[in-house]
Amino acid sequence: MSERLVHDIGGDLGYGPILHDPEEPVFHYEWERRVFGVMFQILRITAQRPGEMRYAIERLAEQDYFEHGGYFGRWEAVCELLLEEYGHLEIGELDQVLGALEGTGPASRARRIEKKILNLLPDDVEVKIPRAKTVRRVLPNSPRFEVGDLVQAPETLQKGHTRLPAYVAGKQGYIVAIHPAEVLPDSSAHGLGERPQHVYCVGFDGEVLWGSQSEKSIKIHVDLYENYLLPVKQH
Amino acid sequence: MSHDHNHSARSPKIRIEALEDLLVEKGLVDRSRIDNLIQKFETDLGPMIGAQLVARAWTDPEFRSRLLDDADDVLAKENISGAEIEHVEVKANEPGVHNVVVCTLCSCYPWALLGLPPSWYKSPEYRSRVVREPRTVLAEMGLDLDEETKLQVWDSSSETRFLVLPERPSGTENLSVVELAALVTRDSMIGVAKAKTL
Repeated sequence: MSERLVHDIGGDLGYGPILHDPEEPVFHYEWERRVFGVMFQILRITAQRPGEMRYAIERLAEQDYFEHGGYFGRWEAVCELLLEEYGHLEIGELDQVLGALEGTGPASRARRIEKKILNLLPDDVEVKIPRAKTVRRVLPNSPRFEVGDLVQAPETLQKGHTRLPAYVAGKQGYIVAIHPAEVLPDSSAHGLGERPQHVYCVGFDGEVLWGSQSEKSIKIHVDLYENYLLPVKQH
Repeated sequence: MSHDHNHSARSPKIRIEALEDLLVEKGLVDRSRIDNLIQKFETDLGPMIGAQLVARAWTDPEFRSRLLDDADDVLAKENISGAEIEHVEVKANEPGVHNVVVCTLCSCYPWALLGLPPSWYKSPEYRSRVVREPRTVLAEMGLDLDEETKLQVWDSSSETRFLVLPERPSGTENLSVVELAALVTRDSMIGVAKAKTL
């Protein structure tokens, strides 16, 4: 299996009860509100490519991902990381402003951007770029797979951003639907071009993912990009 | 520098306040734009947009079949657009089939239909567990499904967003679309609850 980043937790054991409140407000604290608003301003001058901001979140250290104020805390951490990486803040500048020790902030602990190996990515294809901002693309080639085909998710993909959750790596499932083609985030997040792909909804039976211990009659659907998938010969 | 001071400098609250001030000072962000954006998301968006679609689908079979076949087309015709709904698929609950939505890798969610996601949806607990033991998770959240009911989990790993069409509660035959929409909760459109009953 590929080296997993901190966010890739689907199916992990050891998590406790879900703290569920049906009447929960959108924001719990004023600072969450500010993070939300500031983030969108920062995105105008930093991460604009599909998947780029998500990859920044995925590169956070475990302590910042899980123990820095939850979802909006992660966003706060990523604001700092992106501003430093894009050169809008000096390294450690916010710590200095706060009179804190250098290295207090989350950007100092984040992983660097991995260098992807180009020939492990699918070829780019020339397609019309829509005028409106969208990740959808119209591909010249037809989808390689059809609804009902048995496919296998790869055991590994190269390091860096991907939409292959570890819990389906190496597992077999059926094509349930074909979504509109999209820019490949594995490539675009790294600034390596769009390399758009057909996207499939793949259904995995509970037993395939979790073995005989699986709950009965459950099916987990994951959207996977065409270049991830391997055909499986059916008897 | 005291230890306490460095401790408070770790808090996301302290850091975002200082960061916003610093960015305003540098001329990189505009505070009024920030305020406007927050207000827009907090007041204009919410589950009522999705609830309207569900209530109409309950009362109009033709609308329901269009919504299930091609939600993008319905949204375009209804002039519903916005964040995180570039491609939407609606999954209908019916006797013997229940659907529930998650995003294990992030916290993707159809913002322009449901508003911003609640904390539990974004929590590591929900994201990790609902793909492994969805029946247990739903039971914990108050939704007991019988064993024969097929449970379909939708993990939002691409840019497709999912909305659950809950079953219409019985005894609601005489309600208007507006009255019906009031029964459609955020949780029922994520799939962790049924629609409210009368």
